[in-house]
Amino acid sequence: MSKIEIQICVNGEERVVQTTPDRTLLKVLREDLNLTGTKDGCSQGDCGACLVIMDGKAVNSCLVLAAQADGAEIVTVEGLAENGELSKLQQAFAERWGFQCGFCTPGMLISSYVLLQSNPDPTLEEIKKALAGNLCRCTGYKPIFDSVQMAAEVNQEVSHDA
Amino acid sequence: MTHDVIGKPSPNVINHQILTGSAHYLDDLKMEGLLVGKILYSEYPCALIKSIDTSKAKELPGVVAVITHEDVPGENNFLLQEPDQPVLMKDRVNYLGDAIAAVAAETEDAARAALDAIQVDYEPLAGTFDIDTALEDGADQVLPGYENIIPANLYERGNLEEGFQEADVIIENTYQSQWIEQAFLEPEGALSYLDLEGNMVVYASNQAPFRDRKQIARSLNIPEHNVRVITPYVGGGFGAKDEIHVQIHAALLTQITGRPVKILRTREESILTHVKRHPIRVYHKLGATKDGKITAVELKAVADTGPYMNAGLHVMWFVGTVGSGPYYLPNVRLETLAVRTNNPIGGAMRGFGGPQVALAYEGQMDELAKALKMDPVEVRRINAVQSGQVTPSGSIIREAGAVPASIDEATRMIGWEKLDEVERQPAPHLRRGWGMSTTWFVVGLGRGQDNASVIVEMATDGSVVLRTGAVEMGQGVFTTLGSIVAENLGIGLDSIRVISPDTDITPDAMQTAASRQTFMSGNAVNKASRVIRQSLLEAAAEETGLPIEILDLKKGKLVAEGEELSMTIPDLAAKATLTNKQMYASGFYVMDFPEEKTEEGTFYAVGPSAFGTQIAQALVDIETGEIQVEKLIAVQNVGKIINYGGAYGQMEGGCIMGAGYALMEEMLVEEGKTLNDSLESYLIPTAMDIPETEIKLLEIPEPFGPFGAVGIGEPSMLGTAPAIANAVSDAIGKRMTEIPLTPERILKAIEGEEE
Repeated sequence: MSKIEIQICVNGEERVVQTTPDRTLLKVLREDLNLTGTKDGCSQGDCGACLVIMDGKAVNSCLVLAAQADGAEIVTVEGLAENGELSKLQQAFAERWGFQCGFCTPGMLISSYVLLQSNPDPTLEEIKKALAGNLCRCTGYKPIFDSVQMAAEVNQEVSHDA
Repeated sequence: MTHDVIGKPSPNVINHQILTGSAHYLDDLKMEGLLVGKILYSEYPCALIKSIDTSKAKELPGVVAVITHEDVPGENNFLLQEPDQPVLMKDRVNYLGDAIAAVAAETEDAARAALDAIQVDYEPLAGTFDIDTALEDGADQVLPGYENIIPANLYERGNLEEGFQEADVIIENTYQSQWIEQAFLEPEGALSYLDLEGNMVVYASNQAPFRDRKQIARSLNIPEHNVRVITPYVGGGFGAKDEIHVQIHAALLTQITGRPVKILRTREESILTHVKRHPIRVYHKLGATKDGKITAVELKAVADTGPYMNAGLHVMWFVGTVGSGPYYLPNVRLETLAVRTNNPIGGAMRGFGGPQVALAYEGQMDELAKALKMDPVEVRRINAVQSGQVTPSGSIIREAGAVPASIDEATRMIGWEKLDEVERQPAPHLRRGWGMSTTWFVVGLGRGQDNASVIVEMATDGSVVLRTGAVEMGQGVFTTLGSIVAENLGIGLDSIRVISPDTDITPDAMQTAASRQTFMSGNAVNKASRVIRQSLLEAAAEETGLPIEILDLKKGKLVAEGEELSMTIPDLAAKATLTNKQMYASGFYVMDFPEEKTEEGTFYAVGPSAFGTQIAQALVDIETGEIQVEKLIAVQNVGKIINYGGAYGQMEGGCIMGAGYALMEEMLVEEGKTLNDSLESYLIPTAMDIPETEIKLLEIPEPFGPFGAVGIGEPSMLGTAPAIANAVSDAIGKRMTEIPLTPERILKAIEGEEE
């Protein structure tokens, strides 16, 4: 298959990748760029473990062809930490035990991050809706809701302080 | 006694790796020259294999190896219990997950092309797809050479006939549960390679690294010490990763090619091949006096276990062990058996038969209450097993206080006394009801059959390396074990690194299953930690001249009679090392409970008991059959909370898995074929589906547990489906005996049709 060249900005870094048109963004991230934090749970867009942010929106990277991502700005779980420290959102997941096996966690973090970007003070219903495409088999979700709520509260405090 | 770490809400010891995406799971491992391995699975659930032709596949570009049964140098089977499942099929297939050939290729496309090019000539057979057909006299043997019936228990006590004669009321029902799928988020996989000395190294997403080592060695025909199994981060297991999946296939391909091979199951392959929760038919006949006292129980449980034994016998033993529930049964006949079919394999899944049989015994308790117009709480209290009583399987219950305590707490939390004031019919088409369940789980593999080892090593700076064979798969065992070390040595969890199972480095903790690692490895860690604690205290006594009895280690410091001294744990570690104290200790624990005498004879406890009570409040739409679980109360005795986030997390997650089991999950198996083989068609609860939960963990100590702890992973989900089924039955006034409680089943029950 003939190669194509795509250029994507991943976690703030410009990357050029030679790939074939049939490969997904998920494969490019995991295999070519060695960003293995994003997980492949089903390859069919059913589980949400492979969610990344593409131009501000959460997308299942297993359903996006690499060519579609050409020129896009991508954020993966590896891009969430701030200056090497866990972000407020990640800290909240740590403090509220918002993960167990951790396999769905990258996707959960991405969905939560996108939610809080557009809605810094979401209701429980809004959190549930934002996470509706992310399957988790371990936690029963409630600790994840608590984590997102805690992150939102911390953000509110920070913005009130400012 | 106050603790600094035990039971405190500390973050998980692996939180940084998980939350930054740096935790490496199987598929994240890379290796130079890695081949893609794939497996050809059967096209039929039951057929003869006339021929397997791999010649075309072998010639394809990029294909490095194609192997069949002829390429297995050792035993071509594996052996969780009975070694009846072939690694690669020879002349017959028995279910759709049977592996016929395995390929290794340079690329995924080449591997797929190779699978397509393998020609298998089958002669399809009729197959056996239900237990009643398999049970018929003269039925075909599902697995030639093996009886279709795998008998497990027959426990008899007292006089059943007299017991039923004494009864004023008899309740007789048959309960049926369904096939369900573990649906862990990480599909199974293995990566194998030869190290520089030629040893076979296999990374695997697994729950039983040491048993994997044994099984790989056996099929490759090499000594176990030449096999090294390493468990990376595991994305959930719930029982299905307890048995071998693709480890042997990967290792065989490496043995033949000399190259590293990775096999990952696709989601579809994962669902079609691995073991499931057994559907179990439970016949239950219960007799009781008009005061609600049980006089007799007859129970017969029959499971569809698929073609191979796998954990089928163990699961049905467990059903027999805990089939009485948390009740004293004076006269009882309890029979359990597994039956072979050409359906998927029944095996281990969280609860291990416990949820299926609880659906029956708890349904019966509510029916008894209804028949006698008694409070369901009362019939449970009256029959609750007491400390010192003996169960039908001959196990003594040492501490039963959690039965009434969990009932008290759960009823208090829901406001049981005032439920009369809550609207039962909030709209003409809506019916509200409440259901409770009290359950019993036995932790571990059984007295005399269960052990665990661990190694704890303190470095000269006071930090600790903890080597465990216990698999961290989300349940939080690393944090649990780390907390026990931290508490004993007066250090923080951040001073501990836990080494994941590696059969070359960590000792054997047996399988991570049966909710056993908190109890078993916890006890082993406690022993090892205390050796090092003693070394630190001896060093402290020598240094300070104070008597050792008054010294303690707390929050990084040496403490004398509650007063903090200037010496730190790192100071003591350095001192102890210099003065030849033991700073590296293994801990070994065997579950070996003492015999105890009762009026009935001499007995022992088969394992530590976990008791709990759950209560569900359900709202049923009698026009559509839809159910809304409005509230779920769950109270469970854990003996002692060691890992706070882990314990509550297990309880919460278990309840939601239980709610999925009750309401929505079912693997649709037709003629051996699973119809819903994706996460789009096999539905597990999403963020939108979950009921409101309220959880309380009790701390009634288990005398033999580390710090009094017992285990919670599986007990957490035992009571959920029975509680929901009881709530729905209460709401509609009809007994629901079959799960999942689909709208169709609800409407049928309301209309009074027999299913």
